[in-house]
Amino acid sequence: MFKPLRSSSERSAARLRVLADEELMQLVYRRNADAFEVIYDRHADTAYSLAYRICRQRPLAEDVVQEAFLSLWRSGARYDRNRGSVRTWTLGIVHNRAIDALRRRAVRERGVVSDEGLEERLPASERTDVEFARRDEAREIRDALEQLPEEQSRVIELAYFGGLTHVEIASKLDTPIGTVKGRMRLGLAKMRMTLGDPAEVVQ
Amino acid sequence: MSQDERNQHPETCGSNAAPYVLGALTQHESEAFRRHLDTCTICREEVAALQVVASALPAAAPQITAPRDLKRRVMGAVHEDALAEAPPPRRPAAHRVPRWRPALGALAVACAFALLLTGVFASGGGGGGTRVVRAEVRAPGATALLRLQGAQAQLTISRLPQAPRGRVYQVWLKRSGGPQPTDALFTVSSRGGATVGVPGVGRGVREVMVTSEPLGGSLRPTRAPVIVARLG
Repeated sequence: MFKPLRSSSERSAARLRVLADEELMQLVYRRNADAFEVIYDRHADTAYSLAYRICRQRPLAEDVVQEAFLSLWRSGARYDRNRGSVRTWTLGIVHNRAIDALRRRAVRERGVVSDEGLEERLPASERTDVEFARRDEAREIRDALEQLPEEQSRVIELAYFGGLTHVEIASKLDTPIGTVKGRMRLGLAKMRMTLGDPAEVVQ
Repeated sequence: MSQDERNQHPETCGSNAAPYVLGALTQHESEAFRRHLDTCTICREEVAALQVVASALPAAAPQITAPRDLKRRVMGAVHEDALAEAPPPRRPAAHRVPRWRPALGALAVACAFALLLTGVFASGGGGGGTRVVRAEVRAPGATALLRLQGAQAQLTISRLPQAPRGRVYQVWLKRSGGPQPTDALFTVSSRGGATVGVPGVGRGVREVMVTSEPLGGSLRPTRAPVIVARLG
């Protein structure tokens, strides 16, 4: 008796997968678990990668992603499409929760940890054109960050991935607060220039 | 922001935009800065500009696959919630979706019609702070209207073809240089309708554009625009 149901659910899943995140969120408000699953599948890898980069511990990163997605499911009504995409919003929740977890567990003592030896692991079956494009873009963003003067990339990494406040960074680097803020701004502005160089724009 | 504007800007004000988007202000500072944003156009624009980069930073983390067991745990909790909250479903979820989509499409068409009326009213001398710009759309039969009200902007689209497979539509802002990305990513309904909030339309924005981009959006347009709304 389950066979037809499964087939119907597969058809439903296929229909849902063509919907945009914002349309899926409308269904999530109505407690549609299948719509939520599509959102999870789309963003879980990036969310987990971000959580792991911040927490540096798999169990902690898993807890963060689980909490973040369940909060998305349980309070989806707070999503405001005027303030950005579902992806940005979701990753924002993951970021905040990962930083909170980091602060709670006080495992940030050495700040930025090297990524050396961490390979990008995605199953071959998922390496579609879209995935390649996304990975190219990820590499481009990493390159833009790495190309910054070390003093600028360091404050950005300590803040975004290390969860330190500008005051903590100033103290850690023995640098005035104003200088730290200035380096953050310069670094982000330079990345924006690098990533959005008008000369290379496809018109 | 020009040097002149920066000179007029209180020193303590603009310098918080970067730590704010990076999450490096304390909770108290962050709340105070958010209140400040309500009244300061310059900081709002700076935050919008830097936020685009901050939003891209998750991709700077090495990309790894989430454990399968994690999905089982998340979806297990979701299904438990759904069972606990919902009355017994009268029909399977599969049937609800197709009923929804035409409803959304009809709503989008209704919204587009309402906006068209607003545009006629505003251009007819009503004003009222709302301005409606009819965009150029490079798709036969499709229309797009950009409604501007203060710092808020909304793009209402109808009869636009679906984005090519594996791509979504993305909104861009063009000032004096090249197009700058926004977080506004969308696809259209089965009838080609969409209503999209456009963030960061402040001073100096000359055009709002839409292109189709890989899922997740791009930092630079990879295709020619399908929609161009000229504000100048």
